[in-house]
Amino acid sequence: MLEKLEIKETRDTPEVLFDPENNIFKISGNSLPEDTTEFFTPLFNWLTDYKKSPNDITNLVCELEYFNSSSAKMLYEIFFELQNISKNGKQVSIEWIYEQDDKLIEEKGLEYQSVLEIPFEMIEK
Amino acid sequence: MNIKTTFWFFDKIREDNLCLLYNGNFSDDITNKLIELSEYNITNIDSMVKMKKKASFLMAECFQNIVRHGENVDKNKTDYVNEGFFLTKNWQSIYYITSGNLIENRKIENLERQLQKVNSLSNEELKVLYREVLENEEISDKGGAGLGLIEMARKSGQKLSYVFEDFDNKFSFFYNQIVLKSDLDLSNINPQMQLDESIDFHKKMKEENIMVIHKGDFSQDAIFPVLKIIEENLRKEKHDAGSKKKVYHILVELLQNISKHCLKEDNKKEGIFLIGKSESYFVINTGNLIQNEFVDDFKEKLDELNSLNGKELKGLYLDKLRERNFPQNGSSAGIGLIDIARRLISPINYSFIRLDDKKTFVSLNVIA
Repeated sequence: MLEKLEIKETRDTPEVLFDPENNIFKISGNSLPEDTTEFFTPLFNWLTDYKKSPNDITNLVCELEYFNSSSAKMLYEIFFELQNISKNGKQVSIEWIYEQDDKLIEEKGLEYQSVLEIPFEMIEK
Repeated sequence: MNIKTTFWFFDKIREDNLCLLYNGNFSDDITNKLIELSEYNITNIDSMVKMKKKASFLMAECFQNIVRHGENVDKNKTDYVNEGFFLTKNWQSIYYITSGNLIENRKIENLERQLQKVNSLSNEELKVLYREVLENEEISDKGGAGLGLIEMARKSGQKLSYVFEDFDNKFSFFYNQIVLKSDLDLSNINPQMQLDESIDFHKKMKEENIMVIHKGDFSQDAIFPVLKIIEENLRKEKHDAGSKKKVYHILVELLQNISKHCLKEDNKKEGIFLIGKSESYFVINTGNLIQNEFVDDFKEKLDELNSLNGKELKGLYLDKLRERNFPQNGSSAGIGLIDIARRLISPINYSFIRLDDKKTFVSLNVIA
C-alpha cells in the first residue's frame, strides 16, 4: 500500500494527511502561501501514485480556516483528480466543514459543489 | 480616505525603507505583533542588526506608556480609552519610534518636568538617576516613576523629542519620539521636524479614519505580521464575522498580487497599503510601482472587471477555477482580482501616476 503523506501545518500552509491504510484523508488549517505550486506539487505527485490503486472508498475532509485564491485553484485541481478516481468505479466524496457564520468558507464550498460531479457534503460546525 | 491619500503618504515617505503607522486600539496581541514586525524589518537592514534588541526594548517601553496612560483615562469614556498612535520608520541607518497617547491635562506639568530633567542629563548621570529611582522611589500611582523615560533616553543615547497637542479641555495628546542610529551614522537630522511630520500623519489618519498604513517590503515574511495585526484588530470591530473575513481576504489577495506583479527595485518588492473605515464599510488602498509598458494592460483588465455584474464575475471566477493549466501556469493569473471584484460594494477605483519614462505609480482603492 502507498505510504501515507503527512505534512505539518505552518503559519501559511495547511496540515495534510493522506493515509490510505487507515483511510483518512484530510486537509485543514490555513493556506495562503505566495508560491502555491511549491506547496501543492507533492500532493499532486502523491495522488498520481494513489490513482493507480485507490481504496474502494475515499472521503476527503476539508476543514479550512482560510485560503487565498491561488490555493482555491489548487484545491480544485485536487478535487478534480479525485473525481477522476471515481470514474473507475470507486467511491469518492468530499466533506466541506465550515464554521457557523463563516460566509466566505461556506460560499467557497458551495462553489466547488456546483462545479464537481462527486458527492460534496457541506457540514456546518 | 480616497484614492489620492495613497500617493499623499507615499510621496512623503518614499525615501524610507519602511514605515508603519498605526492609529487605534492597543492590546498586548497587537503590540506583540508590531514588535515582531519591526524586528523582522530591522533584521533586514544590514546596518541595523546590532540595534535589534535595543529597538525591541524601546518599542515595548513605548507601548507600555500608551497602555499605562490609556488605563488612567476615565474608563466610562470609552471613546477615549483606546486612542493611541504608533509609528516606526527607517531611513538609511536611522530608526524612528514614535508613540502617541492621551494624557490628562493636569498630569502634563509633572511629565514635562521629568522629560526636561531626563534630557538635561548625560548618559552617566542618567545611569545614576536610574539607580536612585530604582532603589529609593516608591512606585507612584502614575506607575513606573519615570523609569521608562530614563531607560528610553539611556538606550537610545539621544534626547527625547516630545510634543503635547490639545485634544479637549480634559485631555491632550502626548507624542514622544525616540531616535536610534548606528554609531557610524553621521547624517544630520532634525528630530523635531520628524516628530512634527509624524504628528501630521496622525492627524491625517484621524481625519480620514485610517487604522493602518504600511510602506515597505511586500514579501510574505514581511507581510505576515501585518496581516496578523489586522486580523486581531478586525476581531474587535463591531462587524459580523463574515464581513471581517471578507476584508482579510481582499487584503491578502491585493498584497499578494502586488508582491507578484510589482516592479522590483534593488531586488525589493515595495509598496504601500492603507486600511480605513467609512461608515459601516472598510476601505483599502494600495499603491506600488509598475513598468510603464504594463499600464495599458492592467487598466484594460480593471475596466473589464468593473464592467461586469456580480453574476458575471462569479461565472468568470468559476471558469478560471476550472481552467486546466497545472502545473505550467500554477499562478492562475488574474483569479485573485476577479475574486476581489466580486466582494466589493462599488467598482475598483484606480489611478496611474507616471513618475518617469520607466515607472508608474498605480493606486487601487476598494470598499467592502
